[in-house]
Amino acid sequence: MFMAVTMGIIFGAMPGLTATLGVALLTTLTYGMNFDTSFVVLYAVYVGAVYGGSYASILINIPGTAAAAATAIDGYQLALQGKGGQALGLTTTASGIGSIVGALFLVTVSPLIANLALQFTSFEYFLLAFFGIIISGTLQSTDLVYKGWISGFLGLFLAVVGRDQLQFYPRFTFGVSQLEGGINVVPVLIGAFAIPQMIQVLKDRVVIGDTQKFQRVLPELRTIARYFSHIVRSALIGVGIGAVPGIGEDVAAWVSYGAAKNSSKHPETFGKGERAAIVSTETANNACVGGASIPLFNLGLPGSPPAAMLLGAMMLHGVQPGPLVNMDHPGIIMRVSAILVLSSIAMWIVGILFAKQVVKILKIPQPLFMPVIAVLSVIGSYALGQEIWNLYLMVPIGILAYFLTELKYPIAPMVIGVILGPMADANMRRALMVSHGSLLPIVTRPVSLVLVLVIVLTVLSQMKWWRKMWRGLFTLVFPKKADRG
Amino acid sequence: MDDKQKLRRGDFIMSSILILFGIFVIVEAFQMPMQAKYGGVESFWYVSPALMPLIVGTAIVLFSSLVLGRAIKDGGARLFVQMVRRKAGGVSDAGARFAAIIVALVAFVFLDTPRVDFFLSILFFLLYFISVFYFDDAALLKRLSLYFVSAQAAILVLFATGLGDRINRPFAYSTDVVALVFIVGYWSYARILVGRNHALVRKLKITLIVAVVVPLILCPIFMYGLLVPLPDQGGILSLMDLVRYSIGGK
Repeated sequence: MFMAVTMGIIFGAMPGLTATLGVALLTTLTYGMNFDTSFVVLYAVYVGAVYGGSYASILINIPGTAAAAATAIDGYQLALQGKGGQALGLTTTASGIGSIVGALFLVTVSPLIANLALQFTSFEYFLLAFFGIIISGTLQSTDLVYKGWISGFLGLFLAVVGRDQLQFYPRFTFGVSQLEGGINVVPVLIGAFAIPQMIQVLKDRVVIGDTQKFQRVLPELRTIARYFSHIVRSALIGVGIGAVPGIGEDVAAWVSYGAAKNSSKHPETFGKGERAAIVSTETANNACVGGASIPLFNLGLPGSPPAAMLLGAMMLHGVQPGPLVNMDHPGIIMRVSAILVLSSIAMWIVGILFAKQVVKILKIPQPLFMPVIAVLSVIGSYALGQEIWNLYLMVPIGILAYFLTELKYPIAPMVIGVILGPMADANMRRALMVSHGSLLPIVTRPVSLVLVLVIVLTVLSQMKWWRKMWRGLFTLVFPKKADRG
Repeated sequence: MDDKQKLRRGDFIMSSILILFGIFVIVEAFQMPMQAKYGGVESFWYVSPALMPLIVGTAIVLFSSLVLGRAIKDGGARLFVQMVRRKAGGVSDAGARFAAIIVALVAFVFLDTPRVDFFLSILFFLLYFISVFYFDDAALLKRLSLYFVSAQAAILVLFATGLGDRINRPFAYSTDVVALVFIVGYWSYARILVGRNHALVRKLKITLIVAVVVPLILCPIFMYGLLVPLPDQGGILSLMDLVRYSIGGK
């Protein structure tokens, strides 16, 4: 566990590497282990990577992961003031607390979600999968929102390749026997996350500057106690956002940063080394780990891209997520929560004791590091099933993902589409079979109706004409004071 | 041209390609059974395997059209036409680096991994990939890339013409020896190119150490630790087996 946490921290700290890639690579390496052992490793890497992003954010002002981008704003300023060690101590303890809170929510909320999910039929599962793709595309897009949705539907297309589950008709296989079983998720994930980053870092000559020096890293418990309200609020934000399918730690961190700034008596201090800022962002992004695990285990819907990789790992180990997961595998939720708590403690210990040693990794030149990651990606893709074909898929998908990333198409929705595509396809057709082609159950079943309304509103809210219409209506109902005589 | 304009030019190209792709998906979907018996199952439209591809294809065409519209509105089409009309200049530095990455990956995955001893495949890949970027010199990148591409072309000809199988008959690892010769040749060529530049000589030494140590660590971990047979276990990996079983016994 300590080795896995350290590896996770390195993956998080190194710009160009992500938590998803770390979990993906370890999924293939832990395939031969039993479920508990492999999930100890995977969660340790996940927790470590989400926390590890703060190292690069604080010490060199380059976020190691997207989840740590918000931490860089105030973390680097603290490092410039000679308080890098204190900043790392705060992020270490805040991250540990966030992860543990996420684990507690996982074990307490799961029975409620599972009870609710037992009422779900195929319509609800289809709409949930569709909702995950749409919301992921909406929130992950940095340019036009349509790009996020296109990315999600490209993922759905990749999921559709192969023989369909109901009639075994070959779709888009072009006579290639290796495609009949569908496209393997792991090489797609590894290709989509490793290759674009590698190309970007090496092509654009990303050079990691000198890291800010820092003294000992201390737990900063007294400072943490002073920001207790920020921690509570950020943990709730992290768990809540993690529980929404397909979003992830970076959104949780930014929302938490915004909430901390808005609730602060001195918002002008944010951006200049405000400790509350880094405590909030790091608590939220690590709480997201537990939050993302709630829909993952109880609904089979990943709450974040790394959770999507965990879903792949679960399926490899024969664990079918859903409301019956605790019946089919008694105690699994409790065990996973315990793994998450232990990983958080291991992360805290490694962070406090070995930060200085881990930071030395940042000194390795990127041209030495990235090619080794490429080799690990190739070997990781091959190791699953020992199929050369996986490598033949990984490279073109990786190159496509690079071009999409350059044009600001987010990759996370594509990954969510690949993972949830089979669930969406099979449940949609099953639902229509049961209703003999009628779409009425979508509006007569309460949960389906809510999901449809949320999806429709999410899509419409991105349209200019819709926003104009509501603004006009609002002005009509609440005219401005100046317009009243 | 600012970043936004470059982005819209790229959007124009990508959305056009995606629209064509979406149309292809829809056309293929219409060739799937919509209402017939297939595999003994009565197929109505709502059970048809074409349903999801139709939804996916339509969505991709629809949203890509919206992106295309925006790209045209923001001048992306105009910039694309200007780009096409402009006389082709030399390859930019970034373009050369991009090409080097793609060449390295494609050669490693499609050419070397299935045919050459995996240890040597990794060694050659790392030696090339690290050196061209670690040296950070455009002229060296081009020369070393030329050597690498030539070597890979020779390996391709060797296997495509069946010559590889012929030379492997008397000695099973002849093709691995050929690959090793190319690798040694690459290192020697790189050594000559760096000349007396102490910084580059040092970098070349580090490159060689990393290129040898990485497969030396990874291959045993996968073969003996995780029990994953590697794609091509040729001469070097067989030698590794010999050493391992001589030391460790059966």
